[in-house]
Amino acid sequence: MLVTVLKLLGRRLLAAAPILLVVSILLFCVLRVLPVDPAAMSLPPSATLADIEAKRREMGLDQPLYRQYLIWLGDALHGEFGRSIHYRRDAATLVRETLPATLELAIAAMAIAAILGLCGGLLLFALRATPMEAVADLSSMLLLSIPEFVWGLILLFLFGVTLQLLPFTGRLSPGFMRPSLTGFLLLDTLLTGRLDMFFDALKHMVLPAVALGLAFSPAMMRVLRSSLLDVYHEDYIEQARLRGLSEGRILIAHALKNAALPTLTLAGVQFGILFGGTLLVEVIYSYPGLGNLMVDAVRNADLPIIQAAGLTYCVVVLLINTLVDSLYLVLNPKLRVR
Amino acid sequence: MLESLSRMLRSGRVLVALCLVIFIGACAAFAPLIAPHDPAEQNLLAILLPPAWASAGDPVFPLGTDSLGRCVLSRLIYGARTAMTVAIVASLGAMLIGSILAHVCGYFGGIADWIIGRAVDVWMSFPPVILSLVLMVGLGTGLDKVILAIVLVDWTRFCRVLRSEVLIVRQRDYVAAARLVGFTHWQTIMREILPATLPLLITLVSLEMAIAIVVEAILSFVGMGVKPDEAAWGQMIADARQYLYQSPWNLAFPLLAIFAAVTGFNLLGDGLRRALDVRLVQIGR
Repeated sequence: MLVTVLKLLGRRLLAAAPILLVVSILLFCVLRVLPVDPAAMSLPPSATLADIEAKRREMGLDQPLYRQYLIWLGDALHGEFGRSIHYRRDAATLVRETLPATLELAIAAMAIAAILGLCGGLLLFALRATPMEAVADLSSMLLLSIPEFVWGLILLFLFGVTLQLLPFTGRLSPGFMRPSLTGFLLLDTLLTGRLDMFFDALKHMVLPAVALGLAFSPAMMRVLRSSLLDVYHEDYIEQARLRGLSEGRILIAHALKNAALPTLTLAGVQFGILFGGTLLVEVIYSYPGLGNLMVDAVRNADLPIIQAAGLTYCVVVLLINTLVDSLYLVLNPKLRVR
Repeated sequence: MLESLSRMLRSGRVLVALCLVIFIGACAAFAPLIAPHDPAEQNLLAILLPPAWASAGDPVFPLGTDSLGRCVLSRLIYGARTAMTVAIVASLGAMLIGSILAHVCGYFGGIADWIIGRAVDVWMSFPPVILSLVLMVGLGTGLDKVILAIVLVDWTRFCRVLRSEVLIVRQRDYVAAARLVGFTHWQTIMREILPATLPLLITLVSLEMAIAIVVEAILSFVGMGVKPDEAAWGQMIADARQYLYQSPWNLAFPLLAIFAAVTGFNLLGDGLRRALDVRLVQIGR
């Protein structure tokens, strides 16, 4: 069992390497088309033309594009993405500082989406063939039509501005000195035993995480419902009924186990999209994560950060997909032969 | 197909969806006739006015004004023009590229299938929002660039789904029969395979229009979408967010507009899927 999973992990990681290579080429080429001169941007305005020319040579900008790419790739493999033009700091460090915040938000949002998706899917299924079915189906369609940034703004306006129940900017209230162990704020505050800070951080995360979770749960609800409907056509459900098992037990122990698999596949794809969706929510809630870094970089045409952050997003998505595939293998006995 | 379409039209929610889409489409098409003001006209003496029905409202501006004193209703109507243009052109463009590649992949298989499949893998490893942002950095802002970015990001949606459908259809006996009768590959694809994949294609286009509207709003919201002088819902939201305390109305209207447009296209897509999917109709789901 473990061997099969490890084999799959190894195979997937091998397959991910060429994908990442192509992604890096794409990122490099798209951004080199820009009509900005990185050399001129990294020098003070008082620099002379000769200074800029010298800097261009120093940065390798006078060489052909493929040579530039190879130099960049060599540095990138060592975790070097150059200095941010806007922040005047190392791009890789900036990404490393902001990534935990985004991961924390994405995981919390995914948990919320999964719980809502499960409950909603079961509810939709329970309402099948009742007069309420059409209403439930329509509501799930309406929910599907509200993207994450619309939820973000609605929740911000309702709970942050009008009711003033929850904080809606940043990760912590001012006045807290955040501990820096792993960068995962919820984990760090627990490890250092600062419960007051833990709950403060949690409160800051509620609105962004719920906004994302709400936006990504309807698709899961609908897939879970339709795969439950499919599973209920199977003979073993009828068998279980004939054995005298209660409907609740059939649903939880027999049907849900099998119906969960397509939902899991969808959840894997959704998690990748959700990870990108954090960007908008971070901007709306001024949440200091990778998304805000990326948007700032995009607005300032800050190439090193766009490249480092863009590549980071891809690495995380590929890792998530690999993990979901392994989980699928663990949960689906049919795939365990070999 | 005609029969299933007429059945679809009898469903209440498809009618609602069609009404929504036609209403927004009409706003977009006749924007200069409907809009009470020029969407870019500023009136600095009347900034952040509430809607006309509120006590401080001014009937000249039915839905109030924004932070520069521009008429919110006019901007909404012209924003519909931006959104609908993007929705129609971008989703047709993505459909064209995606479905051509999907048919090539599914029909011919082999090396073309492998290459396109790997390209889809690369695209799938980018969260769509991130890829479109990176593309916008490379392309620059503007309505045409937004459309191009959406086409370049979303062709994979069509390619992935349609490819597996083409694979199934290709196995059917009538496709083999067509080849035996002496149809060329081109004729087989156009006359035998495309009609079978068309229902799925139409459904996907409707759903893609909803996605395109959201992406355009997102890009305009972060300031990487249409040019600042063009009215767009995402821009209105970004602007209203700055004045949330003074004028929450300004935030509510563009959000409602996006919700209405996306709901319209999603319900329409869902209705099309139900009406055109032969398997679903037979099971009676």
